[in-house]
Formats: sequence, C-alpha cells, structure tokens
Amino acid sequence: MSNNEIISELEIVVGERYVSDQPELTYLYHYDFITAEPEGRCDIVIIPGSAEEVQEIVKIANKYKIPIVPWVTGINFGSIATPRKGGIVVDLRRLNRVLEVNEDDMYAVIEGGITWAGLQGFLEKYHPNLRAGITWSPPGTGVIPSCLCYGMFDLGMIGGSGAEFINGLEVVLGSGDLIKVGSCSLSNYWYGRQPLPDLAGLFIGWEGSTGIVTKASIKLWPKLPFREDYTGFARTVDQGFPVLLKLSKAGLGICDLLLVNFGWSQSIQELYEKNVVIDAVKDKKPDCISLITTQAYTEKQHIAQCEAIIDICNEGKMRLLSASDGVEGVKPPPVQYWNFWNFTRGGGGQWIGSYCSTRDVVKYYNISREICLKYGKPPQFYSRLMFGGHYVVARSNVNFNKNDPEDIKTTRKILQEIHEAVQKLDGVVMYKPPLWAVKYYKDKTLPSTTRLINKIKKVLDPNNIMNPGQGIGED
Amino acid sequence: MAKKKREKKVKYIRGHGISQARLSYEIHNLKRYQNLEHYKDVFYQCGKCGTCRTVYKDAYWSCVCPSGEFGKFESYYLGGKNLLVWALTSNKLNWTKKVAKIFYQCSVCMACIEQCQIPEIHSFAGEWLMAMREEAVKLGYGPMPEQQLYTKNIMEEKNPYMEKHEDRLKWLPSHIKQTPDANLAYFVGCTSSYREKTVAIATAEILNTLNIDFRILNDEGCCGSPVYMTGQVEKAKNLAEKNINYFKNAGIENIITSCAGCYRTWKDIYPNKFGFDHGIDVKHLPEFLRSKLKNGELIFDKELKMKVTYHDPCHIGRHMGIYKAPREVLEKIPGIELIEMVRNRHNAWCCGSGGGVRSSFKEFSAFAAKERIKEAKETTAEAIVSCCPFCLNQFKNNIENNEIQAFDLSELIRKTIL
Repeated sequence: MSNNEIISELEIVVGERYVSDQPELTYLYHYDFITAEPEGRCDIVIIPGSAEEVQEIVKIANKYKIPIVPWVTGINFGSIATPRKGGIVVDLRRLNRVLEVNEDDMYAVIEGGITWAGLQGFLEKYHPNLRAGITWSPPGTGVIPSCLCYGMFDLGMIGGSGAEFINGLEVVLGSGDLIKVGSCSLSNYWYGRQPLPDLAGLFIGWEGSTGIVTKASIKLWPKLPFREDYTGFARTVDQGFPVLLKLSKAGLGICDLLLVNFGWSQSIQELYEKNVVIDAVKDKKPDCISLITTQAYTEKQHIAQCEAIIDICNEGKMRLLSASDGVEGVKPPPVQYWNFWNFTRGGGGQWIGSYCSTRDVVKYYNISREICLKYGKPPQFYSRLMFGGHYVVARSNVNFNKNDPEDIKTTRKILQEIHEAVQKLDGVVMYKPPLWAVKYYKDKTLPSTTRLINKIKKVLDPNNIMNPGQGIGED
Repeated sequence: MAKKKREKKVKYIRGHGISQARLSYEIHNLKRYQNLEHYKDVFYQCGKCGTCRTVYKDAYWSCVCPSGEFGKFESYYLGGKNLLVWALTSNKLNWTKKVAKIFYQCSVCMACIEQCQIPEIHSFAGEWLMAMREEAVKLGYGPMPEQQLYTKNIMEEKNPYMEKHEDRLKWLPSHIKQTPDANLAYFVGCTSSYREKTVAIATAEILNTLNIDFRILNDEGCCGSPVYMTGQVEKAKNLAEKNINYFKNAGIENIITSCAGCYRTWKDIYPNKFGFDHGIDVKHLPEFLRSKLKNGELIFDKELKMKVTYHDPCHIGRHMGIYKAPREVLEKIPGIELIEMVRNRHNAWCCGSGGGVRSSFKEFSAFAAKERIKEAKETTAEAIVSCCPFCLNQFKNNIENNEIQAFDLSELIRKTIL
C-alpha cells in the first residue's frame, strides 16, 4: 500500500489541505527536537477538525494497520510523542476550543488539541474569576497531554497531578469507536469521574497508546482575592526540604510548594551553562530555592496564613522574600519556563522526572547531584509537593548541545545512571518515561499486572496501531 | 583618575522578564543582517515549543502568526521554520521549491519573534528568515513567479504595479506648491503614487499647510522594499544605489515619507544591510507631524468625530519600533476616540500585504487581512487607521459591504486642517 493511496483516503476525511507526506512538513513531526532520545519517523501528518474525523482516520489506520500517533506540540522531556514506528501523526491543533465552562461546578470542557495559551486566554477573557492549574512548560504545549501524562501544575498542592484534574474524557479508541468516561457518559455534566467505574485510567499514563482523547473536562479553581508568593532560600536541599514538608502539612492555604536547586535557578535565568556555578554547595551559594504560594478569601485569613508561613520558615532557617516586596522572579501565575532546555545554548534538554515518596527527595537530589558533578554538568533539580504533601515530584534536568554528539552521549549516560541509582530508593517512578525506562518498569511490574495491562491494551487497540513503541502496554 | 563605571550586570531585552548577566547573543557575538552561516549555531536552540504562536502573557494569549494560522502545519510557524533552517544547513533535509514556498508564505511581520523568549531567537530570527529568502534566490528556488514579474516591472518601470513610470506623478494636483531648491523631498513611494493617491495628495497638502519647503523628485523610483523582502538583495541594492545617487545629486538632505515600507528601507536597509551610509535624514510622516504638534506649528482647526482603531504597520512598528508617534498624533485630533485592538503595538496582527505575499499567496494574504478587519470591528470603531498606504490598500481590498472604513492617518489630518 503506497502512501499515495492512503493519503487519498485521508484527504476524503479532512480535505487535501490538512494531510501531507511531504518531507518539509513531516520533518517537524518525526522528533521532539529537545531530548537526547533517538529520532523517529513520520510518514504522514494529518490535522483533523473534529472527533468524527479522528474516528475516520483511526479506521483507515486500522484498515492498513499503520501506526498512529496523537500529537499536540510534540515536545516533552520523555520523547513520547516521537513516532517510533513511522505511520500517521495526528496533529490535533485544530481541535483547540473551549467548549464549555461551568462556573458553578468549576470545570472546563476542552478539545484535545488546546494549548495552555488557548485555555488561559479564554479564561482571562471570559471567566476572569476562575483559573486553571498551569504547568511550567511553554504556553504552546497541550493541556490534555499534560493531564494524561501526570504533568504537574501550579495548583499541585491542592489538586494533585494533572491526571487528578481530569473530570471526564471523550476518546477515540484504537478500534475507531468513540466513548465517554465520567459523569459525561450519562449526563450533560462533566463534573467528575464518580460514581461509575473509573475508566479514565484506561487512558491516563498510557502515553497515547490506547486512544486519542478528543475532549476532556478539567477542574478549574477560584481566583481568591488575597495571594502571596514567597521565595525562600536555604543553604542546602537537606536543610530546606524539611521546612517545605512542614509547610505542606500545616494547612496554610498553600496552593503551590516547590524547591529548585541553584543549578535549576541558573538555567531558568537564561544563563549560559559554561559561565555558571557548577557546584553551588562547594561555592557556598544557597542551593535550595523554594517557591511558596498561599491564597486566602479574607484579609484576616491571609495575614494569619502568611504569619504562620514566616514563622515556620524562620524556625527552619529559610530566608524569605515576598512578591509584594517586589521580588522580580516571583510573579503571579502563569510562570511558564519556555526554555530551560536551552541552558547549554544548544537547545537540548531531558530529565529524569519522577514521582516519589516525600521521604526520598533529599536522597534523590544528592544522588543525582553527585552524578551530574562527576560529568562536569551543573546539577539541576526541582521538586514539587503534591496534593497537600501526600507525594512529591522530583526531577533532574540535563541540558546538552543538540549539535554535539559527544554531549548527547554524555547526557544519555547521566540520565541512565541517575535513573538506575534512584531506583534503589524504591518508590521512585518516572512519568512520561522514554523507551529505556519503560522497559525497566515492564520488567519490574508483577507478571499478573503486566498481563492485565497487555490485555487492556489489546482490547482498546486490537491492531496495535496506537503510538506503538511507546507506553507500558505490550506492542 | 576617573572611577571606572561599573558595567550593568542585568539587562533586559524587549519581551518579558528576560534578565541575565550577559546576553546570549553577546556570547555568540551575533550581528544583524548576516548570512545563514553566521547564525548556524543558534537555529537549533529552538525546541518548537510554540511560544512564538501566541502573544506572550498579554492580549489573552491571542494568535500572532498569520503564516502558521493559515498554513496550519508546524513548518509554517517560526519554530518549524527555525528547525527547517537547521535541517537544511546541516544536510538533514534538501532544498526544494516546496521548502522555499514555506519560507515565502510569510509576510516576515516578525510578530512571532517578539514572543519567543530565547534571546538569540528573539533578537535574530528575523535575520535568518530573510537570509533564507536570499539563499532561495541564490539556489534558484525564489522568488515566487508573481514576485519575479513585479520585480521585472520595477527594474523597467520603477514600480511593482505594472504601471508606466511616466504616469508616476499623475496623482499630483496642480495646486500643490513645491520649492524647486528645497533640500527636503517627499518620497511618495509606489503605492501612494499609483494606488492610494489620496495619501500622497493628503501628505503634500499637509506639508503645504505647514509651509514646509519640499519637492517631489520627478524620477523617483521604487525604494526596493518588495525586491529586498523577497530575497533579491543584489537587485534591491542596485535600486538603492540609484535612488541614493539621484537624491543626493539633487541636493536632498531630508526625506519625509508617508509609506512605512519606504521609510524602513531608506532608514534601515540602505545603510545597515546594504552599507550605503547615505547621510539623508529620513522621517516617517507621523514622526514629523508629532514634532510639529509639539512645537505648535500643527494645529487642528476642525473636529472630526469618529471612533477609530489604529493598525500598526509591521515596517514601522516591529521593524523600526515606532508605536507612539502615530498614536500621539491621532489622539490629538479633536473628536477622535482611539480604541485599541486586543493585539496592538509589538503584538499587532499583520495585515498580510507585505513580504511579497499579496502577489504570490492571495488566499493567505486575504485571510490575514480579514482577521485584522474582524478584530478592528470588534472594537466598535468606525474606521481602521494606519500609516502605510500598502496596509490601507490591503484593508480597502478586503473590507466587505462597508463593514468598516479604512484611512491613512494623513487623510484624517487633512480633513482637520484644510
């Protein structure tokens, strides 16, 4: 079957204008252009304009048993939107609308290709009293992929991971069937995933290997009138993290609570990796920089919360600056770091992005720090406390020069060494994992669990066409 | 001994919130107007993150890129183009006519570049977008056929409109008073000479009213902007040289122009890209009028009750940084109420006429214009006002059923002083 024949069929679905196999167009879809992961191959790119069109595309892919990869912006630090086995990349950018905002139940029903910029713009214009949780990823990246892949937002302390922001989904399965999960499956309301069996899990954490999400409802939150953003400084992560842990359990209206190390703070300031401090601890720089955001409904409540935060930080020897003191680096949301992957001025960046127990964060950091220093790279680390402090995200970023094969090789070594080393801490599990990490988890998971995962994948994607080569399910 | 001034360690560049001890392009020692080779180490800094697609932290994060919004595929956005340049210059992809077409289906309005937060790209991507056009011309993939046609006419008849050069001054009414030995020339430009004659007439009448000694040179020819913007640098340089020699030999020391494209070409491209340090002081009409307003020479006698919105032409806005002058003049007109569009100043949506796209990509060009007209209408303004005859002509051609009016600033001023 030639591309031409398939394209002719696809053109009938979306029109000639929105499908192509021309190299100057497919080139942009074959690789994420950020990570140190291998390039993939995009044979055909198509831009559908409706869920029905997505269904038809999946049916055609099934007919010819061609891989199909859902795509919004195609960048993430795990390279999971890179088409590993060629085929059709389904660019969802035309599905970019906010379909409904329910102010009472505080959710938005959005289409599969909407970006953070699209969602934020809509809310700012039409619902200024509500806000979405925002990632640190660039504004051009997709909202739904971020939710489905356990991305984390600046409301992580109150809402948990991106997956926990999902109220319901509309999905085109690998078979081409369209389904709905959550309250929307039997009513016009998209308020939640209860009380039927929670089928959203069939699509969360699967890296697009079970279906293409065409609509989702995500939770929104009220913008409270009082807000303070603190930047806290401690000498080391060992010293600073316990302070954050204490804050997370103190119920002080904290909606975002995180720390970055000195290396990470240098990367987001657009500095050049070659001109910066490599070992902040040795250089006696504050290696623990935390961001603490608190919000309140009344002034009285706000003052009390702020006072308590200051007291806890003072007690833990964490020096605080506040946004209302005019600290430039701390601004109200969204804080979106467009280019921390560019620290080497070489456009490459990848991570070991993990969820883990709050018990292991400091150990995780020290392990990753030593490995980065061994290779002469400034350690970059960040950690966010999630869902009231129930769990934590820990991330080590490594930047590299995309034009330098040696640097890419070194980066791969560092990432794999960190990954292997932090596994010894037990509860460390990567999200948006690249292929080599997925392999590790497949080997580690209980055989019966693996069998169940594989059965589910088979039911949802009988011909194994959905983002093959990615995700935890068997190819 | 004088105390050495401490170098400022934190710098800000336009955009939002970028500060650093040393700007990245200083590390790379980057300069403007260079060839692709000069920028080869920065293309790949792009991760096609999509920040270039929408206004950054302003204007409700509205879309800014006409090329991308029309073309849809990633290649049509700045991120896609950056990585295509990377691919082409590192032999990962081959040049073809189709590749060239992607780069030409762009008005080089540079709204995308304003949004990018990577300093090297924010400051220099416009240079490699133009360098890619130059490269396309060198390789025989550019310019587009329609652009070749108008270039031919420019070389033969000194205008891109397929008109005769001898008709260039047909717009000039007999009542316009010129001073034969004036050292100030009004550089009319091709669009005002042949298509938007009322702009030329209004400008000349305003100058007369202000008792400015000026003259219009009979043999004025195209400034070369449409040639330069399509990557035909040698031809554009040739036109520049002829223009400069002609104006200098005529004793011209000052130029006023009502065209944004002519202004940028004379003021920026001739000296900085072509290296012709012509020494002629070039002013865009609103800049000149603002100075006359400030010193009290320009007085508006009549009221003009009208709600208007202002469209920033790319050539004077993003390309030259002129945002205030036209607004200050406009707002001083008695009766005028200026309502801004959501996307304004450096975030303004391009009208879709520049960069050679109106001749070669008509559907795309009309798409961009209609989007801007729609935005103008949303302000409830009665008219969209600009300072560029090419933008004006583009709006007039795309406004349907008198949904809104379009004026050049000079036309409004003329109504209030004559």
